[in-house]
Amino acid sequence: MFPRLDPLLHSELRLAVMSILAGVESSDFTFLKKQTGATAGNLSVQIDKLATAGYIAVEKGFKGKMPCTTCRITPQGLEAFDNYVNALKEYLSAGQA
Amino acid sequence: MELNNEMTAQQSLALISETMNNCRKAILRNNAKGFFLWGILLTIFSLGIYLLWHTTGRAGWNLIWFAMPLIGYPLAALLYKKNDSIPQSEVGRMLGQIWAVFAVFSLTLSVLAAFALPMNITLIIVILMGIAECISGVVLKNWPIIVCGAILGIGGAVAASLLKSEAQLLLFTLGGLLLAVTGLIVKSQYR
Repeated sequence: MFPRLDPLLHSELRLAVMSILAGVESSDFTFLKKQTGATAGNLSVQIDKLATAGYIAVEKGFKGKMPCTTCRITPQGLEAFDNYVNALKEYLSAGQA
Repeated sequence: MELNNEMTAQQSLALISETMNNCRKAILRNNAKGFFLWGILLTIFSLGIYLLWHTTGRAGWNLIWFAMPLIGYPLAALLYKKNDSIPQSEVGRMLGQIWAVFAVFSLTLSVLAAFALPMNITLIIVILMGIAECISGVVLKNWPIIVCGAILGIGGAVAASLLKSEAQLLLFTLGGLLLAVTGLIVKSQYR
């Protein structure tokens, strides 16, 4: 029986955001937008979904006079990401067997 | 990148791997600037002080060294401010800490050597710089940087013991050039 893939992570943009946040302490919206190549609106919606699920924490503040949104992965998000990657590996190893 | 919920397991893993790799590259490329900036500053300062000392015969020109952090840190702050959206990573933090420790040791020992306890400060700083460079190479998993650090630390220590007075400053010129080259290596490696 294969583990069920987390539907929240099984989406290209949300998975990319989580992949970035898994490797850094925190990242601001500008960097996430640049790295994913997503539109600001779409990225914003997906970040909200991840935040609502408790996978990432979002902090809104200012850098100088400019508004700045900073995201960081939560322990819950990191665990979900690990589980997702392990599930993918199981799928792949079963496919090769 | 837009919404796509129809990825295969292979596509998902490839996406994770590619995204993480690109992110790591962007962060490390940003670190190259620090190596380059301090390398160029060190080269200019060491050459300038060498020329002043050589032409006037006065060792007092060495006090100009204390101006280097005063110029370097604001320049570094300005340089990083341009790309302040680049996040902090564990590797970047470690590199910063390695060179901060080097700066604290060098500055403290330089002050001691200048005003209280005469010592072969070039020998000490060149060894410290070589060690910091070597450890940076280990952190970045980059052999050319490790070798550069070893050449600077071990070769520089031998040369500092053999060279006299102002000629020792040229070791810092070599160190500065090696730092700048390190910056170029890091930048090209993570292009």
